[in-house]
Amino acid sequence: MTATHQPKPYIVAERVCKSFGAHQVLKDVSTVFHTGEVTVIIGASGSGKSTLLRAINRLEPHDSGRITIDGVEVCDDLGTLQRQRCEVGMVFQQFNLFGHMTVLDNVTLAPRRIRRTPRAQANAEAMQLLGRVGMQDHAHKYPWQLSGGQQQRVAIARALAMQPKVMLFDEPTSALDPEMVKEVLDVMRGLARGGMTMIVVTHEMGFAREVADRVMFFDQGRIAHDAPPAEFFGNPANDRIRAFLGQVSH
Amino acid sequence: MLLALWPQSWSRQQRSNATLVAALVLMVLALSLLGHVLSFFPDPIGPNAQAFSEGARTTLWLTLVSGTVGLALGTAAALARTSRWVAVRWVSSVYIWAIRGTPLLVQILFVYFALPVLVPGLNLPDFAAAVVALGLNVGAYNAEALRAGLLAVPRGQTEAARALGLGRMHVFLDVVFPQAFKISLPPLVSNFVALLKDSSLAYAIGVVELTNVGNRIQSATFQPIATLTTVAVTYLLLTTLVTQISNAVEYRFDVEGRNQ
Repeated sequence: MTATHQPKPYIVAERVCKSFGAHQVLKDVSTVFHTGEVTVIIGASGSGKSTLLRAINRLEPHDSGRITIDGVEVCDDLGTLQRQRCEVGMVFQQFNLFGHMTVLDNVTLAPRRIRRTPRAQANAEAMQLLGRVGMQDHAHKYPWQLSGGQQQRVAIARALAMQPKVMLFDEPTSALDPEMVKEVLDVMRGLARGGMTMIVVTHEMGFAREVADRVMFFDQGRIAHDAPPAEFFGNPANDRIRAFLGQVSH
Repeated sequence: MLLALWPQSWSRQQRSNATLVAALVLMVLALSLLGHVLSFFPDPIGPNAQAFSEGARTTLWLTLVSGTVGLALGTAAALARTSRWVAVRWVSSVYIWAIRGTPLLVQILFVYFALPVLVPGLNLPDFAAAVVALGLNVGAYNAEALRAGLLAVPRGQTEAARALGLGRMHVFLDVVFPQAFKISLPPLVSNFVALLKDSSLAYAIGVVELTNVGNRIQSATFQPIATLTTVAVTYLLLTTLVTQISNAVEYRFDVEGRNQ
């Protein structure tokens, strides 16, 4: 990946811990995500990878440690949090499109409410984004009229509408039929090529190999390994990773 | 019924609007022509047509005003019951518990007779007392209907809205409430139709609404069958029209086309 500018630390996690009841899902997780970098996080379910993603935009507040976005700590202050969330787009496994709104309204809602963008301008910008994800012909449909892959592409356009600096993807293709996975991955590939900073939780090893700048392996709440894809897949660091890769590759 | 009248080519919104307008026009027509139509009937209906018509108007007015109060109260109470603060949740629970656990007739009598004693200087006229009691009553039932709707909106919807950076107000007003309201609409309509009929209990404190009128004429003329049938048919006419309006509203919100 060719970053147009010098990568600098953007999201920094320091000794982040999080428990659900007695079960500790994140154990002292520390890492740095740089601008323009595509990070793919893999690992068994329950290993804490989604929780880290959700802690970054505070959908799941962490118990201790520090997360900063562009130098500003993620905390409960609503004003700061809302500004940070505008900078950090998120795409969910279950798409979570607003079912009572058309595709166009889904995409324009945040700019119209937060930036007070006039409707006509918001619509024009949304149509451009929908064009980017190949959904411009479906702008006036409702989410239930779309296939899973189409819904997820709209969800990506919706997240992009606030012109975020980072995109978080929480297993974006896990709820999709195999033939729809590709259309979503193609959109994500395009984003990565455009220089977007991305953190992607996924089980798509092909995508990780091809697009990622680094692959992070989560195991029992810890980052067990963190390496460029060639090294990560070519020369697995330990048996745990080798076993995991063996399981997901067939 | 009305919804099926419009051409297939019309959009959802057009059909919904057409139904709303038609039902409202029919409602106004029915109320204004009721006295005229009834005056052609033989004794005891004909000579008392004007009284019937005024009674029906009072009934509808009483229902509309207390229904509006009840919707506002119900929304507030549903929000309070799902609030983060324990005290607020508790107040709302007590309100719903007390109202649902006591007869409506007792509530109406209480507001009219007991409230002025409890709060000196507060002397509500019969109509206002009926509005307060009916509004409080339907508010408690609406609160539960709306709460069910609020709880039925998937968590992912709120999360997606928050992740976009929307503030609490917008998350609620743009994303959660419209979906909750759609889910709550059928029970809310049931409550409203029940209210239309329950407003007849205002008769106990002397509000001259439809049932009161019918009962007075019945006891003065000793012709219960004719008078009470007229009362019942008038209620049926009103509830039918109200149901048409609510169907139109439901149809408009049903973007997924689940009600065919």
